[in-house]
Amino acid sequence: MYRRLLAVVISASFLPLTGISFAADGESLPAEAAHNHRGGEKRIILENGEDAVITLWKPDLTTEPLTLEHGGVTLPKTGMDNYHVILAEKDWGDHKEVVIRYEYRHGPPSKQSPSRLTAQQKTEFEIVPAPIPREHYRYHSQQRWGFVVRFEGQPVGGLEVELQTSNGSHLSVTSDAEGRVEFLIPDDFPGVVKGERDRRLGQFSVSSEYHQGDRRYTTQLSADYRVSPSHWQSTRLGLLIVGFGFIAGSVIGRVKKGGDGK
Amino acid sequence: MNSILNLSLLRKLVQIGAFVFFVYGGLVTGYYLEDKISRSLPALSCAYDHQGADLCTLIPIQHQMDHRLGEAIANGGNLMMGIMPTLITLGTFLLLFVVLNKAFCGWICPLGSFQEILQIIGQKLGLRRHESLSENLVERIRPVKWFILLLLVFAFPLLTGMGMLNHDLGDPFCRICPSRILTTLATGDSSQIYLDTANTTTIVTSLLADFLFGLMIALALTVRQPFCRICPMLAMHAVFRKIGLLRLVKNATPRCDRCGLCAKACPMDIREIHTDMESRNVTFEDCTLCGRCVEFCPDQDVLQLKYTRFPVFSSSPHYFKQRKKQQSQWQKRTLIGWFRKRSAIPGTESS
Repeated sequence: MYRRLLAVVISASFLPLTGISFAADGESLPAEAAHNHRGGEKRIILENGEDAVITLWKPDLTTEPLTLEHGGVTLPKTGMDNYHVILAEKDWGDHKEVVIRYEYRHGPPSKQSPSRLTAQQKTEFEIVPAPIPREHYRYHSQQRWGFVVRFEGQPVGGLEVELQTSNGSHLSVTSDAEGRVEFLIPDDFPGVVKGERDRRLGQFSVSSEYHQGDRRYTTQLSADYRVSPSHWQSTRLGLLIVGFGFIAGSVIGRVKKGGDGK
Repeated sequence: MNSILNLSLLRKLVQIGAFVFFVYGGLVTGYYLEDKISRSLPALSCAYDHQGADLCTLIPIQHQMDHRLGEAIANGGNLMMGIMPTLITLGTFLLLFVVLNKAFCGWICPLGSFQEILQIIGQKLGLRRHESLSENLVERIRPVKWFILLLLVFAFPLLTGMGMLNHDLGDPFCRICPSRILTTLATGDSSQIYLDTANTTTIVTSLLADFLFGLMIALALTVRQPFCRICPMLAMHAVFRKIGLLRLVKNATPRCDRCGLCAKACPMDIREIHTDMESRNVTFEDCTLCGRCVEFCPDQDVLQLKYTRFPVFSSSPHYFKQRKKQQSQWQKRTLIGWFRKRSAIPGTESS
């Protein structure tokens, strides 16, 4: 049995609304290393997670309580692949704060669509990816992704929703009548070298706040994001090569005309 | 036969429907991989197209060679556990394949349909077409699909999983497959046309992919089904073609070795349909069960598409005559012809 750390550091200033947050200690891992969890255990650091109720939601919508140990939780082998949700809730009476993270886990086929997990109400106030990157895909900078803000399962319009990244970017938009917001994930990794593959991981959080009577709800969805491949993949050059291929095909077609054409 | 409806037209309608379904059908079936129909489709419906209804079986096979069997061999793990996902994928593939056999190529595959549409465009543009490739050239091309299947679908991913090749060769066929570029472009996503400068492997594979895509488009305008001839899915089909319920059957007569119209009609240039006088099941390794040979056979019941023992379409002199007439009329209608005709009418010439 082996353990790997989800190793992403989130600064304290990254968390404007909630005290608890997903984070980790240790050195940053390249994306590929994080990808290769292959169903083993995985440890996630939860900052300020004392007294929080932590729940693991599995793809088949069954749940399992997780225990905070040494400032983090260990995701066990669940025997099924696909997205899982780690939900941490802290109730202060007049204020309930929630952090959510969707984690892809490898394992035997769960045969469950992630749409079940996103559709399921997991807490009163939550931000749901709409959609979440498809299995084997990930968030990248320069991509536009949507999220829905829900309270007790119903979309909430007119709420201010913020996106912050571990690289210091900050965006803010207001949810529409369907509770939907969209963000263009900032291309904010420092020191990206044009033409060279960059496997660094960053973190972003999408957060919002909702009031019902005297009770305040804050929620934060956190996720990894990666450097946009457009830094080392050139569409213009690709099109140029398609053009060369087309010319070559035309020439081959002409050459063959003498031999085979009828 | 109805004066308009024929087997080729029926096939075109099925192809268009299949193209729409497999390229955009994810809007109905769902966005996530778990929502896709089988995930082992015996046709090149690409997983990179997020709006697709299903994905081709070559994708999970490469993935399983790399991450399951390759890793199991490298780590001294349980080989049965390593091979089991591939057996499940092959089992699903076979369940579908048995139903339509190689007709998945000739009737369902989005890339095959695209090449046929290009061929129609080429014909309508008045480009000179190669009705048949030379026997020698066909013979030289035939082994390529087997090399691609063995090397790019099985060997390279397996060696990658065993740690003998770099990670970028874990799915080498997908990286050069024209269907990846075509189906994503069809959904308005141009992100799969690129030159990837991450390392030598990605430069080579992305160069090959883009070049092959351009080459295929140009060739398809004048040559029938250029990529199908080297497609590893055709080779996969060839392995299992004897168990398919749909098959091409020949009841040879002494006349068969003379006219050769069936071979000329074949988009894959399978001359054996014409020359083989022994076999009854003539679903050859390159056959896509398109049925054109049956349409253009002038003899009664000599060629048949049979589903198990039941003929579903048989050659007949009457059908042949009508079909040949339709084909002549269709081939006469070109854009150049239309412009010539238009300019010949007084008062329609441009000033």
